[in-house]
Amino acid sequence: MSAIASAGRARARAAGPGGAALERRFHWWCLVPTLAVLGVVTLLPTLYLLATSLTPLNLTQPATQWNFSRPLRNYAFLLSDGRLHGSLWVQLKLSFWTVSLQLLLGFAVALMLNLRSRTLEALRTVFLIPMVLPPIVVAIIWKVLYTPDISPVHWATAALGWPLPTLITHPSYALGAIIVADIWEWFPFTMLMILAGLQVLPEEQVDAARIDGAGPWQLTVHVVLPFLRGVLLVAGLFRLIDSIKAFPLIFILTDGGPGTVTEVTNYYSYIQAFNFSQLGYSSAITVILVALTVVVSALIVRAVGWGHSGE
Amino acid sequence: MRRRAFLKQTAGSAVVATLALRAPAVLGQAKPFAGVTIHGASFQHVFHSYLKEYIPEFEEKTGMKVDFTTQAFPVYNQRADLELSTKGSAWDFLNVTFIYSGRWIGAGWMTPLDEFTSDRNQTPPEFDAKDFVAGAQSSLQDAKGATYGFAWEAGAMITGAARGDLIEKAGLKMPATFEQLVQVCEATNGKDGVAAFVADKLHHWNWIPYLMGFGGRVFKDPPDNLTPVLDTPQAAQAAEYYANLLVKYGPPGLLSYTDDQAMRAQLSGRANIRTQAIGWMTPLAKHEESKVKSTARYELMPGGPAGQFPGSNSHGFGIPLGAKNKKAAWAFITWAMSKETLRRVSLEKGYAAVCRRSIIDDPAYRKAMTFNGQDLAALYLKVLELGGKSGYMKYRTVPVFPQVGDKINKAMERIATRQQNARDAMKQAQAEAVEELKRGGIKLDA
Repeated sequence: MSAIASAGRARARAAGPGGAALERRFHWWCLVPTLAVLGVVTLLPTLYLLATSLTPLNLTQPATQWNFSRPLRNYAFLLSDGRLHGSLWVQLKLSFWTVSLQLLLGFAVALMLNLRSRTLEALRTVFLIPMVLPPIVVAIIWKVLYTPDISPVHWATAALGWPLPTLITHPSYALGAIIVADIWEWFPFTMLMILAGLQVLPEEQVDAARIDGAGPWQLTVHVVLPFLRGVLLVAGLFRLIDSIKAFPLIFILTDGGPGTVTEVTNYYSYIQAFNFSQLGYSSAITVILVALTVVVSALIVRAVGWGHSGE
Repeated sequence: MRRRAFLKQTAGSAVVATLALRAPAVLGQAKPFAGVTIHGASFQHVFHSYLKEYIPEFEEKTGMKVDFTTQAFPVYNQRADLELSTKGSAWDFLNVTFIYSGRWIGAGWMTPLDEFTSDRNQTPPEFDAKDFVAGAQSSLQDAKGATYGFAWEAGAMITGAARGDLIEKAGLKMPATFEQLVQVCEATNGKDGVAAFVADKLHHWNWIPYLMGFGGRVFKDPPDNLTPVLDTPQAAQAAEYYANLLVKYGPPGLLSYTDDQAMRAQLSGRANIRTQAIGWMTPLAKHEESKVKSTARYELMPGGPAGQFPGSNSHGFGIPLGAKNKKAAWAFITWAMSKETLRRVSLEKGYAAVCRRSIIDDPAYRKAMTFNGQDLAALYLKVLELGGKSGYMKYRTVPVFPQVGDKINKAMERIATRQQNARDAMKQAQAEAVEELKRGGIKLDA
């Protein structure tokens, strides 16, 4: 592709002032297939979602599909839906704890694995295992660990005289149980990204800091972290967006319970759509969730910035 | 040829010819469905695990391959709801779940089966659709009486104790009232490391008999008036009572138990009493993995101050409107629901909840359903009779029940985990149910 582009540029230069327009047109034609695919795959479903959110679509009543007589009806319901508001609060807690702990743990393990050691290099692969397992398998592994009848953890703690309560059915621990499982599954992702960032950290910067008398802590805070800001931002955003999409762990482990203690917004939207057939209302919830995700991501990018890795 | 031999041969040929003429055409061929694969689905149930053992015989006979998958109750229902609503063709036959029957049949998502039953070429005469118990079939029919499924289970809720010996040792009998149930649980909980009570997490099925026993209801007057009535003092009392059973006498982790987990806890002797449909109870005395065969005891569902209201329901096989292989699916249903297959599942496996009158009335069934000297068939018929008498199960087949059932489940979890007291939890359930139904355009009382 780059060879074609170079050839295009060469032709444009040779053609003189009109060549720049020709080059722009060439670039646009290169982009058209990608934009078309993107439009079909992303934009159309989003527009459909938006349109559906303006209808009272209920699967058992096909006539409701294109009923736009009260387009803001669903959005008005959102304001008084206490269960939805509760789910947003649960979402906030889940996202905050999973993203921050995954970044922290990922950073700590990446620092360790960045040391030159054969054992640690071998360990890298082991750390990646949770991330490459299908999410439903991860959920089943944790279901086994959290179910007292069959859990080796429960057997062990009971044998030691410290019997654990059933974490996934206890209102104080259920969300924590999901957070732990999510961290186990996804900290390897942040670790991998941070490790990749650490491996391109210029040696000169580290050496210069050391010559200036920086200790390990100062080196980490003043050299490594600023260098990794962009990587941390991208990893954090990925994990934030994924945490908003959290589903298999909640579906398998708690079903949103006990009560609604672990019911995140995305799960509530799923229940509205697939348990109650209220697709219109579910779409309105999803539209709000998408909007919130975009706004929060933009605010984080603005606050943190992309870092200085290229400077 | 001798005259007698000639007469015998002629008579024999006449009988064969008559049978052949009466037999459906599809069965006249050697392997009428060779090369056809049908896909079907249901929720997990002991009946299906028994039926699956016989399916190879059907495949051998017809040449058809049957891909029959089962999932957990809520998972299956969600998938089926989506599949049916989109007129999908992924499944050729499926289970018509009781609580969704009104919705699926009412929305026109199922194939009417009368055209098959009235077609001699597709239905053998011995299928005898009228042999199915009318009460079990009623949820599988629409208002005009058209049939959309044939029942494989008439779920009749009874009390089953895995360790009846513990109750006897305590000098007590199987509980007949709510009060006695608590007494028995109190006296036996923890004995031999056995939890006194066990249940699965489908509270909107398990709890309702307790709600009604205390004099409460789910809706004002279903199916005509669907105003929820979950915030009554009776509902709070019943919720408090049931949550206590779960918390005080249940094994650890009970609130996450599926049907199968609850049954396993009983089969292994880790938990004692459960009030659930009879299909989940006979395995205690019959299942090959059961460690409690000799100590299994049965009784009717206990009653409360307002009487006895054991849950009864029915699930049946039907054909989705969008199914690709309807003829093959129907051939499978006529086989699976035939007198012969159901008789074998019932007598050989000990499956009690059959819906064919001819089997229920068969002395062999009564004999097979007698466990440790207890006549389970009598209990079964008694529950079906109770369920049909006052129509108290009507609440369950209204199309909006899944929404209201969800609120009941959540409320029960909040009470059992002490997040809320029963009164507040039921008040919240009522408010949420009303809001949900209004959002769905259902007219409710002011």
